[in-house]
Amino acid sequence: MSEVRTLIVDDSSVMRKIVARSLRQAGLDPLTVHEAGSGTEGLEVLKVQQVDLILSDINMPSMDGLEFLRQIRAQNLAPGVPVVMITTESSEEHVKQAILSGAQGYIRKPFTAEQVKERVLPLINAA
Amino acid sequence: MLLNGVRRAAIASARNSGNKEMERTMTLSLRESVDLVSDPKNLDASVEEVFQLMLGVNCQRYTGPEPVAEPESVTAVVGFGGLLSGACVFKSGSTAAMKVAAHMTGMEFEEVDDTVKDGIGEICNMLAGAWKSKVPGLSANCGLSVPAVITGRDYNLHVQAPEFKLHHAYTFDDASFEVTIICDGIQ
Repeated sequence: MSEVRTLIVDDSSVMRKIVARSLRQAGLDPLTVHEAGSGTEGLEVLKVQQVDLILSDINMPSMDGLEFLRQIRAQNLAPGVPVVMITTESSEEHVKQAILSGAQGYIRKPFTAEQVKERVLPLINAA
Repeated sequence: MLLNGVRRAAIASARNSGNKEMERTMTLSLRESVDLVSDPKNLDASVEEVFQLMLGVNCQRYTGPEPVAEPESVTAVVGFGGLLSGACVFKSGSTAAMKVAAHMTGMEFEEVDDTVKDGIGEICNMLAGAWKSKVPGLSANCGLSVPAVITGRDYNLHVQAPEFKLHHAYTFDDASFEVTIICDGIQ
């Protein structure tokens, strides 16, 4: 597999590390990880870095994940790059909101590396 | 004061989601199903699920004599807002908090630093999310605040006359911690 450049957006640095570790366990290797602690930071990263995959939390201070997703689309940042939401919010309504905002995948916390693999690899392979 | 703050944040989270369906269903009531909401099995299942999936450890409910408290403790609070208002509280001694963070990150810790606090806040966030997802009608109609984490000695968290309160102790890997669900309002 060629190098996968990933942006992980989560206000928890521990969760960013866990997500990165899960991606490597899922077989995404080599993997380049860019990290952002909020949607606002994530947008700044996307203005200067090209990525192949975006994973974002929803419940974050300053700019939440859904607004981050809307801004990515509105500013035409990372066109065609799959976005997967990783969040504790798991209701059908939250999933629907994420998909309507432009997400291609949804992973509920807590998660296993296997679940990350199942949701992420098809998106990477299809891109 | 702390609970008022996290509750406001959770209510704001529910409102800011832009979820029209959520707004509509906020008129629903959970009051008839309060027995289901306060079922202690949901809390145990949530703790087992989060610790098994995120830490790879099995947790057991602890019902023995109260363990000797460490002088320094770590408390994380995640507020609920919407059909149910209240909070999920995780509390442990510093040793248990460092063990939790070590399992999450694969790192070793000698003090409760920012990474440990971050990890405990995230565990509390996942416990709150897992718990509310087990109650039909609550998951989509109850927002979560971002976690607040408190460390120190000799402090108590006090809530006046909650609607109901679940308070369980658990052990894993020779460490113990407590999880409390406080509901101070239910619609």
